[in-house]
Amino acid sequence: MTEPDLDPVIHSASRLRVVATLAALDRGDRIAFPRLQKLLDMTAGNLSTHLRRLEDAGYVSQTKTHVGRTPATYVELSPAGRTAFERYTQTLAQLLKGAQ
Amino acid sequence: MTVPPVPTDDDAPLDPRAGLDIVAAQARRVRDSEVDERVLFGVWGAAWVVGYLVQWWSASGSSTGTTSGPAGGVFGLLMATAMVVTVVHLVRRSRGVRGTSRTVGAMYGWSWFLGFAAQSAIVAGVVNAGAPPQVVAVVANGVACLVVGLLYMAGGTLWRVGPFYALGVWLVVTGAAASVVGMPEGYLVMAGAGGGGMLLGAAFTAVRRWRHP
Repeated sequence: MTEPDLDPVIHSASRLRVVATLAALDRGDRIAFPRLQKLLDMTAGNLSTHLRRLEDAGYVSQTKTHVGRTPATYVELSPAGRTAFERYTQTLAQLLKGAQ
Repeated sequence: MTVPPVPTDDDAPLDPRAGLDIVAAQARRVRDSEVDERVLFGVWGAAWVVGYLVQWWSASGSSTGTTSGPAGGVFGLLMATAMVVTVVHLVRRSRGVRGTSRTVGAMYGWSWFLGFAAQSAIVAGVVNAGAPPQVVAVVANGVACLVVGLLYMAGGTLWRVGPFYALGVWLVVTGAAASVVGMPEGYLVMAGAGGGGMLLGAAFTAVRRWRHP
């Protein structure tokens, strides 16, 4: 299968899961790192790696903040990330239709 | 933080079917971690059915046709319990999410609080004006029902949840019907149509989740 249109940043099972989870939140919502980790069943290290890659592509933004005295990281899909995700799923749907 | 493990072969490209399955599975997982309508409809439905049946039983046994203090206490306790369950559920489910939905949720929560504060003030005003207990009962119940129904309708509009909106319409109609019927029979309308309607809502959302997981 050749996929010239499929975004290489999203086109991996792990990162697709991360992006799909963030995209399922309401537009303009940020999610705490531990809650995101729970929704994905990933190790913290693994998730950090994927988030960094997505952040480098401009698809995700991470905000460091404090809840009381505990540091907390909140993750959000950027508008560019949401657009890329929508384009990616549309392409998948087209490929699936073409294959039938 | 631990040393990041090297991503393994789950970085392999996906076929379209598997990719779309992942997207659907995660959307479902996020939705399941958010507010569970079955809990809210179920708790309120049960509280209404039992609470209003007690009100009816008490009012139909009294010479004035109004409820007794203990029956009112039971009703208040049931409503308070349902309120606590709702708040605890919402707080737990919204933990770890910030942004737009939290602001919208807070505004929506304040609308409930203000609606009921105004309802209490209206009832107090009617009592002060010398209304007989029968009139007070109709006004108190009718206005409360209007607040609940309209806010359900607003919530359904806001989050585009059809069943939520439909339940709001149903509760507005129920409150209006109970007011026209008058008390104590109006309490039966509230228990059956109001509480029963919410329990139906719980059943409907449960079936929908089960059918479209």
